[in-house]
Amino acid sequence: MQVSSARTIGKERTGEWIGRLIENAEVVAPTAAQAGDVIFRKISSPVEVQWGSDNPLFPPKQVVLPQTDPLVTISRGADGLVVEPVYDERPRVLFGVHSCDVKGIDFLTRMHAYDLADTAYLRRAAALTSVSVACITPCPLGFCICCDAGPFLAESFDVQLTDLGDRFLAEVGSEKGGRLVEPSADLFRTAEAGEVARRHELEEAAKRAFGPETCHFASAMRRVSVGRVSAELWDEIAGTCLECGACNFVCPTCYCFSVKDQGRDGHWVRCRTWDSCQFRAFTREASGHNPREAHRERVKRRFFHKVSAQYFRRDGAVGCVGCGRCVKVCLGTTDMPAVVAAIRKGAWHG
Amino acid sequence: MDPVLTTCPFCPCGCGFYLHVQDGRTEGVIPSEGDPVSRGRLCARGWGSHEAPAWGERLTEPLMRHEGRMRPVSWETALEAAADSLVATRRAGRTIGVLGSARATNEENYLAVRLARGALQTPHVVSCLTATYQPLLDGLHDVTGRHAGSGTVADLEHCEVIILVEGDVAVTHPQVAGAIVRARKAGCRLVTIGAVASQMTSLAALSIASTPGRERAVTFALVAAALAGGRLDTATIVAAGASFDALRRSLAEAEVSEAVARAAGWYAQAQRAAIVVAPLVADAAELRRLAGDLATLAAATGHLDRDGSPLLILPARGNLRGACEVGASPNFLPGFAPLSDDGAGSRLEGVWGVPPVRETGLDAAQMLTVARGVVIVAEDPTAVMPAGALAREALRRMECVVLLDAFATPALELATVVLPIASFAENDGTVTGLDGRVRQVRAAVRPPGKARPGWAVLAAMLGRLGPATEYHGAEEVRREIARAMPPDIGARWREVDEARVVPRAERNGGRRPSLGPLAPCEPIKPAPSVAVWDGVLDWGSDPLVRYSPTLCRDSAAQRKLFPGGFVELSKEAMDRLGVRQGWPVRLKSAGGEAVAPAVMRADLAAGVVVVPFAFRDALAPVMGGHGVTSVAVERA
Ligand code: SF4
Ligand code: SF4
Repeated sequence: MQVSSARTIGKERTGEWIGRLIENAEVVAPTAAQAGDVIFRKISSPVEVQWGSDNPLFPPKQVVLPQTDPLVTISRGADGLVVEPVYDERPRVLFGVHSCDVKGIDFLTRMHAYDLADTAYLRRAAALTSVSVACITPCPLGFCICCDAGPFLAESFDVQLTDLGDRFLAEVGSEKGGRLVEPSADLFRTAEAGEVARRHELEEAAKRAFGPETCHFASAMRRVSVGRVSAELWDEIAGTCLECGACNFVCPTCYCFSVKDQGRDGHWVRCRTWDSCQFRAFTREASGHNPREAHRERVKRRFFHKVSAQYFRRDGAVGCVGCGRCVKVCLGTTDMPAVVAAIRKGAWHG
Repeated sequence: MDPVLTTCPFCPCGCGFYLHVQDGRTEGVIPSEGDPVSRGRLCARGWGSHEAPAWGERLTEPLMRHEGRMRPVSWETALEAAADSLVATRRAGRTIGVLGSARATNEENYLAVRLARGALQTPHVVSCLTATYQPLLDGLHDVTGRHAGSGTVADLEHCEVIILVEGDVAVTHPQVAGAIVRARKAGCRLVTIGAVASQMTSLAALSIASTPGRERAVTFALVAAALAGGRLDTATIVAAGASFDALRRSLAEAEVSEAVARAAGWYAQAQRAAIVVAPLVADAAELRRLAGDLATLAAATGHLDRDGSPLLILPARGNLRGACEVGASPNFLPGFAPLSDDGAGSRLEGVWGVPPVRETGLDAAQMLTVARGVVIVAEDPTAVMPAGALAREALRRMECVVLLDAFATPALELATVVLPIASFAENDGTVTGLDGRVRQVRAAVRPPGKARPGWAVLAAMLGRLGPATEYHGAEEVRREIARAMPPDIGARWREVDEARVVPRAERNGGRRPSLGPLAPCEPIKPAPSVAVWDGVLDWGSDPLVRYSPTLCRDSAAQRKLFPGGFVELSKEAMDRLGVRQGWPVRLKSAGGEAVAPAVMRADLAAGVVVVPFAFRDALAPVMGGHGVTSVAVERA
């Protein structure tokens, strides 16, 4: 990021800025919910934004990949069935998102553009602009630093804010990002060299704050990629997975889906719905045959997709952004850091 | 639309989460870290719970059978027909009854009880699953003086020892299984008791094999081993006085294996130790004794009511505890007040405006056989009752079957009047978790078509049959429940406080456990093999699973592959019989015989044949309506 393009905005003016964003787009931000949770949802006023909260347990993935995602409508016309695609191109701003989630959406977008482009996804993603807040203190369970997904971003962001106390430093990382800042240029001013230097100090401090306990993908990748993990170890790991699918549902990079038709007042809507590779039925074929009937095969599949060199080469990243959510939601004990450690050490302590 | 915090409708763990609503439809589930039960963790069913309300075949208008066909009618007509036909059946001197359900809220179950024992003046009100749970509570009551265990699922995580009388909790009660997995990671020693290997038995430090239906042989021996091993709670034993000697004498014949002695020793020595009982297939007397054994074990070792030492009896389905607690149980008035309790009688008369019928009711199986008119609240007896085919015939014989449900189930075919109600996603009310927490269910969307909340429909029926009754919301019904209950239990119902569990005062009520002699344990008769239903019941027939495109897949595949059912055998048994996967075997019992394909189940004890509950009717000639029976197996 060049010094000249960085700006600052006083915290007292962010409300005004968000207010202007709301006028032009659907703004989705972390908000407070009933049971003390913080949840991403559409806001109608800047005061709803929960600043400085821990990363919400439920990722903002549904902004680009809703849990129930209508793809086409099917209705009866004069000459048979009429199939029409459903596109959602509403301009959206994802405000106050953490670095890892920006990387997650970036990963999903690359994946949906790859090979056969997924138009429904890509159109929605193209209409989305993110305003992320860099993490000056790592979250308790996060290990984004091992995944090149935080705590600060050097790329993939649209607008990145850094908390400098009474103001934010705002870096614009894309044209889309520029379109959020330019019209509100009156609220920002050009950053001073000292402010930019402070941002870099904060980044270094944040990185140091991760401490020695991180997630060592490299050696796990070596072992997974060449099949050097024993069936017994996969069995043991699978023994503590309760097949809830939560790891996939909250993972910012998971996109497994299933397709179902929903009847709605005289027509049908073909929906893509979240699915999980940990479910037995996910790979069951129409004949009844299931190539991944054994639980260990499903667990193995998940980690092969996430950390193997084969996928790393294709996707340019491990399929993990280090958000630590799977540690919290796993009904068993089969989360990413635990399994990566087990693969490295050849022993499971779940 | 804001996410709506609610409680999972499936199992009694009672996990909280948010329903995500878009354009008036439930489109997703958002986990809640702040929820004291789930703490952000849900099982696959919880994650898929938004699907059935939106994708399922919903009942949207009242229906009445006319000349064999179901016809849409107005609410007015349907309610009148329901009330008139019930009254006419009763006037003709025939039995009528009401079935509550684990799928219904506390408010709905309570109004079902009030409808039966109050307005319809019949003692027959029960749920299809009461018989699987109430005897266990009665067994606890024999020792502890209350119809409840203690502690929470979260307590399990900090236990040093967990004794699990296992069915398959990884499938039936995943949140419990999760807590056990985490406890084990922290060093807990897990002891499982069961005949069928499960995910939990594979994690056990000690697995004690039991004979299906006779798990009590192990729990009886555990008490004997604990008493022989010392480390007992002096205060409890001193208080028991001579009864303690009687207890000791009653255990003289117990056969204590080395494994049982070790498990009892671990349990007695631990600071924090748990007992968990999964749903079991055994007769009522056996269940009651088993619970009595376990309460005695907990009391004698000082674990009963100790903070951090939970004693958890797992109801088979969602709100079964709540259903029993509000009175859907043959021997009790709301709050487990005995039928003979005059105080409870006048309290209810004050609340209801009519004196409650205080006779003993029939259990669900008897009621279905005897009754000629029945109101069914959110249940499909043909899918849940032990003998599904018999339930179907019984309903077919009835003069009136008033069915309240949100979904089309096979019971629809047998109904005379259908009253469409809200599913959990459209309903307000409470459900009671396995730990006694009264948890809030909140409407996230509007009921489809003309459907109404179940409590409102039951209230309308009450109004037609008795003194005018009006509630301005489910909350008003809950407050009435608090008044209808004995004061100590009612307190828990007055304010819904989701973080709180059964208060200590209610736990011991100032009473010491009463230790006394245990009923003798009948020797286990040798049999070539024992056939048993799997303890999971049949999730596949639950409309919330059946109508969820994600959740229905496994059970649908099983039904497709084996339309006529199958039985599971051990590898050893299949080798001995010389049969391979899918080959037919013949099962013979005293009652009859049946042929079914054999499927191998790893780690099953050699003498055990598992009959999937979903296919119990195909094996009915052999099982004869029982959950466990001795059989001979041969190649067909
Ligand atoms: S979250 Fe954990 S228990 Fe659930 S499927 Fe994933 S690994 Fe298994
Ligand atoms: S464990 Fe039980 S209550 Fe929790 S999500 Fe699963 S089915 Fe629902």
